[in-house]
Amino acid sequence: MPAVPRRSPASASPAVPTPSQFRRTTEVPGGTVILGLTLLLLCSPARAAISATDPFAGVAESTAAVEPPAGTWAKRFFNDNFGFRKELMSEFATSAHAPAYSRQSAGFETLKKFSSETATIAAVDFQGRLVRRDRFVPVLNDQEGMSRPGWWFEYHNAYLDLYNVLDPVLSEKRQADNIGRFNLRAGRFYVPFGLNLQTDTHGTILQLSNERNFGFERDWYSGLWGSINENLNYDAYYLAGSGYDLKWKGQSGLGAARLSLANKYSSEYGLEGGLSVLGGQRLSPEAAQRDPLVAARGGTSSVVDTQRVGLDGRYRQTIPTGLLTWTSELSGGQDRPDAVFAQLYQAEYLHSSRRWGLSAQYRRFWQDGPGVDDSIIGEATWYFRNDVGNSSLHWIKVNVERKLEQIQGRTDTIVAFQYYRYW
Amino acid sequence: MTVALLAIPREAFAAIGCTLSNPAQDLKYLFPEMTSYKEDLKEFPRLNDGAELFKSLKARLGSDLDPIYETYETPYTVYGIYKGKTKIGVVHGVNVSGKGGVIQVFLSTDPNTAAIKKFFFQRLESPASTALRDKAFRSQFEGLTLADFYKHDYYAVAEPGAAADKVGKLAVPKIDAAGKPDYDATIRGIRKNLILLDFFVYGKRFEPFFEKAQTVKAGGTKQ
Repeated sequence: MPAVPRRSPASASPAVPTPSQFRRTTEVPGGTVILGLTLLLLCSPARAAISATDPFAGVAESTAAVEPPAGTWAKRFFNDNFGFRKELMSEFATSAHAPAYSRQSAGFETLKKFSSETATIAAVDFQGRLVRRDRFVPVLNDQEGMSRPGWWFEYHNAYLDLYNVLDPVLSEKRQADNIGRFNLRAGRFYVPFGLNLQTDTHGTILQLSNERNFGFERDWYSGLWGSINENLNYDAYYLAGSGYDLKWKGQSGLGAARLSLANKYSSEYGLEGGLSVLGGQRLSPEAAQRDPLVAARGGTSSVVDTQRVGLDGRYRQTIPTGLLTWTSELSGGQDRPDAVFAQLYQAEYLHSSRRWGLSAQYRRFWQDGPGVDDSIIGEATWYFRNDVGNSSLHWIKVNVERKLEQIQGRTDTIVAFQYYRYW
Repeated sequence: MTVALLAIPREAFAAIGCTLSNPAQDLKYLFPEMTSYKEDLKEFPRLNDGAELFKSLKARLGSDLDPIYETYETPYTVYGIYKGKTKIGVVHGVNVSGKGGVIQVFLSTDPNTAAIKKFFFQRLESPASTALRDKAFRSQFEGLTLADFYKHDYYAVAEPGAAADKVGKLAVPKIDAAGKPDYDATIRGIRKNLILLDFFVYGKRFEPFFEKAQTVKAGGTKQ
């Protein structure tokens, strides 16, 4: 907390009457008298002198000290730049070919930022959930749930950010020139491919492409992120390629880089977008199951040689009754030896009251050989709370997914209901 | 000037309220000489007198609090800007509800005088966005303090058009009726931003002006 410079104590209030007091002294019964007096006053030098008097003359700023930081080390730790949010999720789903599914969870998210005297130097974020699942149905936001019946404690985000990591070796001028350019991230977070890095899908049913494209939407990784110039941001990481657990089973890992439009484009034009590349080896039992040729190359650990190039964009447009948002992710490449191509198109409408919204999504994943998975999805949401910064969320959702084509299994329609609260 | 945006910043943590989505770039634009910046998360529930402060926000704002954007739990991020060891600026943003959606109003202020140095929008979806983003309109606010807004409460009632009423002299941009709510929301956002900064950073230094304005406006005799 910055020290507040001491100022001179508040001086005594002015002795001259305020205009309102002056007016009160002139109020006497009788309209004519009042009118006459008013005219006189309006013309008199005395009125001019009083009107020119500032009723705030002599009022000084308070010299009260700024609230000092809390006393103990522990208290300071949990008060100073410490964010904590609770989460409740209750989800039920059913389909024509599966029993009713239940997923109940209670979770939390915590963020602690660390600062020096003059700079924020690091942040640690952790998200966890205690989940109870019964009778799995492959709902969009719970693809991982198939292998987790019953009780599970899940971690989602678990990462450390170090800001301006090159500052210790740079001159003050170089530090100033490169501020925000070299930040290091290590831990578990969204795969740096497509829009997911800048989209929080932690609580939503609708998801972006990565879960289907790679078999996981988050991975363990380390690398640099920051702004290149006023037009472009970058992300460059080495990923373990193991998905949920950090493990090494013969995969070499993945290199990933993303160039994205600087945030001013979103601010001024409602536009976000980026180009992503990713290559190397990941663990993906799902990819191996889809095609024996992929499985044969991957061995018992399901190591998949992976290459992807992706293009993504999101455009937000205000209309008289609310906000329309169009999102698209396209990516192509290989899960060797197969070529793959993934598409996602999404349209959203949020009413200007932020109380309700509608969404529609079409997603398609093609793999040379096995074939196509594609779905069309509709969703309606009623928001009890819908803070624009996502600091307080409270909603109920109905989501219907029609699986049009399936590489494995049957086509199906899944209906999901969700209650979600984050506060 | 317009600074970057995004409702969801690069950090997934969703509890950081109205933040600059690209603080390094944005702050560098505002303060080219800066060498570092420091974020300070503020939440009423974590302040010693948070409940009392929150209660007093409504009175100082002069209108009801928005149930979506202005809750007790709403977090705020204050940026302190440094050149070497010297603090050269404070930047803070707030969300207000506009006709076309959220309006994110950011101010940079002088760390010593608490006067506005720059006022800018991070997010503005409005039929009046061109007029409101106009530099000539925004630059009128430079040099104003919260005291000027509190004084305006008095002048607007007791002495409309008074020469000392700096806020009352602000030129309203040419906007049609459709854009008027967003102009009003903008003014409200600036005032709210200054009040919160007074709470969080400046030790409620402008409180005497609020009390004085209330007293003289109410026609009291307290001097």
